[in-house]
Amino acid sequence: MSNAAATAAAEPLIHPSAKAGADTKAPVRIAVKGLNFYYGQFHGLKNIDLNFHDRQVTALIGPSGCGKSTLLRTFNRIYSLYPEQRAEGQILLDGVNILDPKVDLNDLRARVGMVFQKPTPFPMSIYDNVAFGIRLYEKLPKAELDERVESSLRKAALWDEVKDKLKQSGMGLSGGQQQRLCIARTVAQRPEVILFDEPTSALDPISTGRIEELIEQLRDEFTIAIVTHNMQQAARISQFTAFMYLGELVEFSQTERMFMNPTQQRTQDYITGRFG
Amino acid sequence: MDAINTLAAPPLARSRVRPGRRRADAMLRGFCAFATLIGVIVLGSILLMLIVEGIRGFTPTLLTQPTPGPGSEGGGIANAVLGSLILTAIGIVIATPVGVMAGTFLAEYGRTSKLAVLIRFLNDILLSAPSILIGLFVYTLMVRPMGSYSGWAGGVALAIIATPVIVRTTEDMLSLVPGTLREAGAALGAPPSMVIMKVSWRAASAGIVTGIILALARIAGETAPLLFTALNNNSWFNADLMGGVPNLPVMIYQFALSPYPNWQQLAWAGALLITVTILALSVIARLVIKPQRAR
Repeated sequence: MSNAAATAAAEPLIHPSAKAGADTKAPVRIAVKGLNFYYGQFHGLKNIDLNFHDRQVTALIGPSGCGKSTLLRTFNRIYSLYPEQRAEGQILLDGVNILDPKVDLNDLRARVGMVFQKPTPFPMSIYDNVAFGIRLYEKLPKAELDERVESSLRKAALWDEVKDKLKQSGMGLSGGQQQRLCIARTVAQRPEVILFDEPTSALDPISTGRIEELIEQLRDEFTIAIVTHNMQQAARISQFTAFMYLGELVEFSQTERMFMNPTQQRTQDYITGRFG
Repeated sequence: MDAINTLAAPPLARSRVRPGRRRADAMLRGFCAFATLIGVIVLGSILLMLIVEGIRGFTPTLLTQPTPGPGSEGGGIANAVLGSLILTAIGIVIATPVGVMAGTFLAEYGRTSKLAVLIRFLNDILLSAPSILIGLFVYTLMVRPMGSYSGWAGGVALAIIATPVIVRTTEDMLSLVPGTLREAGAALGAPPSMVIMKVSWRAASAGIVTGIILALARIAGETAPLLFTALNNNSWFNADLMGGVPNLPVMIYQFALSPYPNWQQLAWAGALLITVTILALSVIARLVIKPQRAR
């Protein structure tokens, strides 16, 4: 198998508008060390070591069931809703091990936000959806809350579409708008890290494009980890990419290098569409 | 050439469906239509009879005067209507918080734990328990110790009947709330209690309210649990609800069996009134659910 063939296949994946390359000198925000994860008896993640850099987008790719969503769900310990799931090892967020039982979960989740595959607007008004997360932590005067809601909706590129109907139900928006509402709700909490779990797989191409642009902009402020099934998407929006397979981290590198010149045969096979 | 013709216009006569299947289809359709017809006829004749017989009892004094003495003319059923309203209200006021909380426990906290499985099982038994037994139970629990029939005992008996209905619908409606919605709440850092109150309950509110209304309709017409608890009373009842409290179902039961034409007429009117009320409650319950579906 020649590298040239793989490169030829991979090349169009790099979007012309992709931002300047990865900043390898950016400080590490999340350091995963020797992470193992279990669903009951099933060993879902095996000895993962991985760094997420400050204000960079890191994409997690791999075939279904490889553990990429599982890994993402350890960063805010959302898995702990299910008693049969457990993680072992270390995940350091700014040097503090978040797997330590002493870590306050609500505090952690305010710092690490999450956007899900299916849009999950709450059955309340657009305004209340965005204010939900803020009200959990801060008691703001009305004017300040209004301002925070507006700026969050602006950051999520939704303000112009909803500014006249903030009192209407969030459930009445289109799928793409709902997903941006969920992003606004997450951004409103001013997290440091945002986790995206296949955020566009339920959306049409135009909505997908908008979300991708948005992630590009959010990178200025937040450290981003995104799980995606779509390799073109990983190539378009991420600076770093991790390829996972059967619960193991196969390869991690700068996105450009990963798609142009993977070092592992399995990575090459996957990104050239030989399996997955 | 033949082949092309067949493709363009397949001859209907040579249908590929075997004749046996058509016959089976026609038969099943016939059975279903017949069964539906029987149900509708029974329901229709009950309603028709109630209207024909009951409407004559709708006199100007029906809702203003209490039940008349045996053999006397005139009067109304005002005391029974008011009594029924109070008993049903006591029942639903007790049953709603207990039922909603228990249903919430089953759907949100207990889920598949042994305790939840046990409670669910007991609740299903209670759901189908003969209502006369519940009347006897409350009789032993309240009427005997207190030494008197009372509206309170009647209300408690009705609450015991309404509770399992509300538990069941609350749990069912909450389990329809997608898990991802709860995850989204938790991911924002909301503690479970907050997710339940602000997200799950809201998402399931129409269904839960419907369950409460249906429970209300169910207990409004219950007779057996009241026979041993609230009993009846042919005049106005005490303000403290001690002693017999008149109510529509028991009033209908006693008056319908009486030899007095006036009482029989009042029983018909009461039956029509209660049926129309329950019908209205069911219609309201449907209307509550509708706007949710439309979205």
